[in-house]
Amino acid sequence: MKLGKTAKFFLDGVIYIVIVGGIVYGLPKFLSWSLKTPFPMAAITSGSMWPELKQGDMVFIQGEQSKDTIAEGDVVVWRSTNNEGFVIHRVTELKEDTFITKGDGNFTADPPVGYDQLVGKALVWRGKMVKLPYLGSVTTYASKFVQ
Amino acid sequence: MADIINQNPVAPIEPKKRFSFGAWWDKTTGEPLKLKDKIILIVVGVVFLFVFYVTLDANKYPALVRVIAGEGAVGVNPTDLALDFGDLARGTSAVRRVDIQNGTFMPMYVLVWEVGGISSLMEVDKTAFRLAPKSGTKIEFSTYMPASAEIDKIYKGRVYIFKIPTFGI
Repeated sequence: MKLGKTAKFFLDGVIYIVIVGGIVYGLPKFLSWSLKTPFPMAAITSGSMWPELKQGDMVFIQGEQSKDTIAEGDVVVWRSTNNEGFVIHRVTELKEDTFITKGDGNFTADPPVGYDQLVGKALVWRGKMVKLPYLGSVTTYASKFVQ
Repeated sequence: MADIINQNPVAPIEPKKRFSFGAWWDKTTGEPLKLKDKIILIVVGVVFLFVFYVTLDANKYPALVRVIAGEGAVGVNPTDLALDFGDLARGTSAVRRVDIQNGTFMPMYVLVWEVGGISSLMEVDKTAFRLAPKSGTKIEFSTYMPASAEIDKIYKGRVYIFKIPTFGI
């Protein structure tokens, strides 16, 4: 069966929409499922973790973390209690009820964080943090229009 | 008469073939140049020349900073030919300014682009703005040295300031 030019044009359009839709909606859902967190990606918006993480980088977050799965030196994401958003810093000390983090580029450590505020750990593959340079800037810029 | 006999016969001079783009196109593609192709080629040519001019006209500055040990130590700016932030200790910052003038009668769109290792340490007060005709402004570059900077390392990069004519758009 031979398709007409118009039918082929519309079929190509449908295939294109399915592929783009799959990437835009399917990929975050897949990452949420595989990384076990509702926040599988994070855009870096400050230079506090320079040079490990630069402003505009995008990192992947491995969820379901607890006191037993994180260690000193890990880069973790925690949620601020006063709705100031998320913080991604390095663990410097583990205590009984809280842990201390500090940005590599900062001079002072953050206030103690409760384990219930822990969102996840930066995904590491073969000893290196998985990050996508510049992609975080795109999502940060795009989110300004969404809000 | 003898002079005439001794002369060698002169080969007829063939007229030089002039290069014709249309003929070359015809020979390469097997089709004559259509009006649509001519319009596309002219548009591509104009866009290329525009981009070439903007790139050539851009201000280009090397940028560098050296990390030194100590607290609160800030070096002097050794040159005004580059965005040289001198020597900076961790926790200190330095500011350099670039003066931009638009001497034309056309508004310009100014774009600032930084590349290299220093770019993640450097903040620019305005990266994209419109510059009115016959006016000028200052662009401020500030570099802060974080706690994780490596002592004695020189962070380098380049800063490009593009001035794009807006043609009143």
